[in-house]
Amino acid sequence: MAEQALSAPAPAAQKPQAVARRNESTLVPRLITGAVILGAWEIVVRALAPQYVAKPTGIVMAVPRVITDPKFLTALGHTLAAVAEGLAVTIVLGTAIGLWMGRSAMVDRTIRVYINGFNALPMIIVLPLFSLWFGYSSGARIATIIFAAIFAITMNVADGARAVPREYIEVSRSFRSGRWRTLLDIVLPASMPYLLAGFRLAAGRALIGAVVAEFFLSIGGLGFYILYNSRSYHHNEAFVGVLLLAGFGVGFELLVQWATRRFMPWYRRGEK
Amino acid sequence: MQLEQRRRRDDSRHRTRRKPVHTTIRRHLPVWLSVIAGFLIWEIAGRSTSAAFMVPFSETLKRLWQLTVSGEFLPELLDSAKLFITGFVLALIVGAPLGLLFARVRALRIGVEPYIMILYATPMVALIPFILSLMGFGFAPKVLVVFLFTVFPVLYNTVEGARSIKPELIEVAKSYRSTEWALWREVMLPYTLPYMMTGVRQAIGRALVGMIAAEFFLSATGVGKLIMEASQEFDTAGVFASIFVIGVLGVGLTRVGLMIEQHFARWRQ
Repeated sequence: MAEQALSAPAPAAQKPQAVARRNESTLVPRLITGAVILGAWEIVVRALAPQYVAKPTGIVMAVPRVITDPKFLTALGHTLAAVAEGLAVTIVLGTAIGLWMGRSAMVDRTIRVYINGFNALPMIIVLPLFSLWFGYSSGARIATIIFAAIFAITMNVADGARAVPREYIEVSRSFRSGRWRTLLDIVLPASMPYLLAGFRLAAGRALIGAVVAEFFLSIGGLGFYILYNSRSYHHNEAFVGVLLLAGFGVGFELLVQWATRRFMPWYRRGEK
Repeated sequence: MQLEQRRRRDDSRHRTRRKPVHTTIRRHLPVWLSVIAGFLIWEIAGRSTSAAFMVPFSETLKRLWQLTVSGEFLPELLDSAKLFITGFVLALIVGAPLGLLFARVRALRIGVEPYIMILYATPMVALIPFILSLMGFGFAPKVLVVFLFTVFPVLYNTVEGARSIKPELIEVAKSYRSTEWALWREVMLPYTLPYMMTGVRQAIGRALVGMIAAEFFLSATGVGKLIMEASQEFDTAGVFASIFVIGVLGVGLTRVGLMIEQHFARWRQ
């Protein structure tokens, strides 16, 4: 039901030679495509667009200026701190609710309507409401981040907790393990891959939530930095911020893939 | 002995046959009770807090009715729908054939794959300020926002699906001297369609976010405008009324998306 973006981990245990050859054969076309995209962008902007519009060379030139700019660094710090704080709350709360839903059919039936409903609600829409409730403050930003992220985690953990093989539970019962023990030592680790998949979705949404909140509420952060610079015709500088956001998006993706391979080598989605 | 066994089996069969009705009630009753309880809690919470903070459910419905009768609501809703549909359809028209093309031409696919992944993971909202300063306030920039939100899930899933086409299928088609067009129509499209529909399902949710984002951050129109104006005038009931409608629409559209996806998932083996 949830957007389960569980991706199959790359097939392990390939011969190193084969990997090297494959990397080589994919790397060249990728680099060429990248060069074509950047070249086309540069040419089109130079030929058609006004001076201030972002173009690859301009962005590269802007990078050193931007990453040494204290204003940029504080903005980045604010946004990352908010995202980290929001995600921490989200993971704890979302996992708890998800486990509860996954292990009790009654709870699941009672809450699922709301989880599905809020998950289907475009998160941006609550911004005017949150600005009324929390004021134009960083509290509203945290609230937006949590609201944007929590349902993805909850749904995935609930699905994961329900998918725990019955035998695991039965074995732990026959060894007289208690309710909490079963939950924490059996159900939680077994639903870990789902939690990670949920985390990947949630992290992406948390980033979007933070940026959107900063746009809407005009509070200091990476999103506001992008907004401010693009309004004052510093598109190159603003685009460095966008690249950083894209980098975080991809980074979360890779982190989850790596963690799945590293800590859950037993988990292979392809084999199911 | 044998007879009794058979009777018992009949009994159990009977029970299993009757079970669905029973479980349907058992499954749906808590859901409805929970929805009713939710509205009650909303009502009580709304009544016991300040009206600027939260309004009860009844108040929200009343305001929604007022807005509808006064003719403020429906035109704006239609305006939003126009934006949603234009952007979404454009994304489908571009994303699906492009995805198939990438899948068919291997070198192209390998080349663009990482970039599609990057764009899929990039928060597209961050591009809104650029779109605003380059394209201004018209209808086109807003369609572009919805398009950008929508096209990458479609593209990403289509490429993913077309990538998993068994090479044997294409080889067999080719050894029967299938034309390129027939290959696309008879092999690639049917095989990829279920994956494409997963993309469509994800895209529906994103298009809704894109629609509201465009209405908030570009020129204010549609339901987005209604919400913004209501919140600026401290008309909390108006804010709740619009959010409620968008929420119901979101749930409905997600349902439709899931139904489409499941319908085509039967093809997937």
